[in-house]
Parts: sequence; C-alpha cells; structure tokens
Amino acid sequence: MIAQLILSALLAAILLYAWTEYRRSPAVAFLTVAIATSGLYFVWMPDHSTKLAEMVGIGRGVDLILYVWVCISLVVLLNLHLKLRTQTELITTLARKIAITDAQSGNA
Amino acid sequence: MELVSRAQVYVVIPAYNEGTVLSRVVSDVRRAGYAVVVVDDGSTDATADRAQAAGAAVVKHPFNLGQGAALQTGIDYALAQGAEFVVTFDADGQHRVSEISRLTEALVRERADFALGSRFLGQAPNLPPLRRLVLQAATLFTRLTTGLQVTDTHNGLRAMTRRGAAVLRLRQNRMAHASECLSQIGASGLRYVEQPVTIEYTAYSLAKGQTLGDGVLILLDLFARRLYR
Repeated sequence: MIAQLILSALLAAILLYAWTEYRRSPAVAFLTVAIATSGLYFVWMPDHSTKLAEMVGIGRGVDLILYVWVCISLVVLLNLHLKLRTQTELITTLARKIAITDAQSGNA
Repeated sequence: MELVSRAQVYVVIPAYNEGTVLSRVVSDVRRAGYAVVVVDDGSTDATADRAQAAGAAVVKHPFNLGQGAALQTGIDYALAQGAEFVVTFDADGQHRVSEISRLTEALVRERADFALGSRFLGQAPNLPPLRRLVLQAATLFTRLTTGLQVTDTHNGLRAMTRRGAAVLRLRQNRMAHASECLSQIGASGLRYVEQPVTIEYTAYSLAKGQTLGDGVLILLDLFARRLYR
C-alpha cells in the first residue's frame, strides 16, 4: 500500500508536468499523459499488467513494466531533444540581432 | 528596358569558409549593379574580409549557425535596408549572375511573390547521378508534404518580392530550410513560379554540396520540427 501511494504521487507529478509541457509540445504531452495514466492504472491493478503481458506475448507483468520503462526513457530523450532545439532557436534569434546590429558595409 | 531596377534588388549570399571563391562571386554580382549582403556564418577563414573588399555588406554570425539561419539573417538585413526584391544566391560559384534579372523579371511579369530556380527545368551540367537521385527524392518528399508541384526543392537560387520575403520565417537552421521555405510559401497562399536556371557544378561546389547522409538529417530535422511549436 505504501509503495502504491508513493508511486501514485510520482505519477501524478508526471501528469502535472505533462500539462505544463502541452503548450510547447502537444505530442510529448500526449505521450507523457498516456504513459503516466497507464502507470497509475497498473499500480492499482497489478494483476492486470500480468494479464495484459500474457495477451501481448511478453509473459510476466514485470517484464511489461520494464519495456514500458524503456519507452518512457525514449520519450524523455525526445523531450530533451526538443527543448534543446527550442534553446537553439532562441540563441539564433539573439545571434541574428547582434549580427545585423554590427553589420559592415562594403568597401567597393 | 528591364522591368525591375537593379537598385531595388538585394542579393543575399550565405557563406561559410568560402574565401577562395567568394571574391569573384561578389564582384560579378556587384558589377551587374546589385546590392549584395554576405552573411558570414562563423567562418574561420577570410570570408568576411574578402566579401567586404569585393563590395558586399557583411553580416557576421558570431558562430556557425547553418545555412538556413544565414539566409534568414540576410533576408532580415535586406528588408531593413529597404529592398524591394530579395534574391538568394550561393557562394560557391555555381549560380549565374545573368539568372538574377530573369528571376526578378518573372516576379513582375507573372505577378508572383516568389520565383524559384529549377535546374530540372533548366540545365545542370556535371550533376552526378547519385546527387540527382537524392535531389529528386527530396523533391518528391516536398511535393507530398507541402502540396506544391515544384520540380527542384533544394535550389538556392530564388527571388522574392518584399511582401514574399516578409512572410518567410525560417526556423530550420541547417539544410532542411529549403523544404521549410517551400512549406511556408505554400502556407502563405502567395503566388510562386518556377524558372529554368543553369547550375554549374565544379569540383569545388560538389565538395561543398549535400551528401546522402545530409538528406537523412534533413528528413529527421523536418520530422522533429513537427513535434513542437
């Protein structure tokens, strides 16, 4: 029960994070919500993870959770990549303003 | 009598370590009567000095950002200087100066805001077969994703009116900007025309050009760009 409460609190925090990310990247927010909601479901219905695992041919519920964890890691990587691109755009805008301000006219 | 006064045209040349050929390219364009802005994209050679000595205005990025970023910087600069027409032109000597007036006149004659150069409507002597294949695959991809029925998507020779230039907001810093540019032209609803042009490949320009690996990176860039705002 204690583990379920702690995991639920963590997953609820992830849902909140997904909400804050929606404006920047709806795709990442949607994936995060889907994963966190699935996590919440399986935390409170652990038997269902085993049933689902058997259905998709994985065998054990714990293996299914492991695979899902790998997927979560990939979403985190994607999100970091997108944030990096956003930062690059801001740096580009700044560099462009500096470059145009310091433009030099031709000699000929 | 020309339909477009050359004094109204700004030629934007993005350049990264092009010191060996840039002087000749800038001199040729200046001699034809056009204003030139070279965007030095963080070169480590004498690109900026040579461009300025040849008569170009020089805008220097503090570090290398990519050709797409350099083009947008050049377009912003040209608009700020009051350009009525903006032409983008490669620094490696593969474009002909005589094509500039053909493109700008097409804008006026066809009442278009963009005139896009096409080597596949014109000529591309010495274009290697593998590069032709990559370019044609890129064209097919752009046709499918933008709906624009263009014949050459990665051609750096294009002209635009002031109104056309103002709607472009290139966010793809690297090579994917060419597809992004067409996508924005399509979304703007402004009229575009294609004009046959000749691209002259030399050993120098081929060494500087895009590879098959670049094509894969372009696809990844375009895909990633669709995932965020």
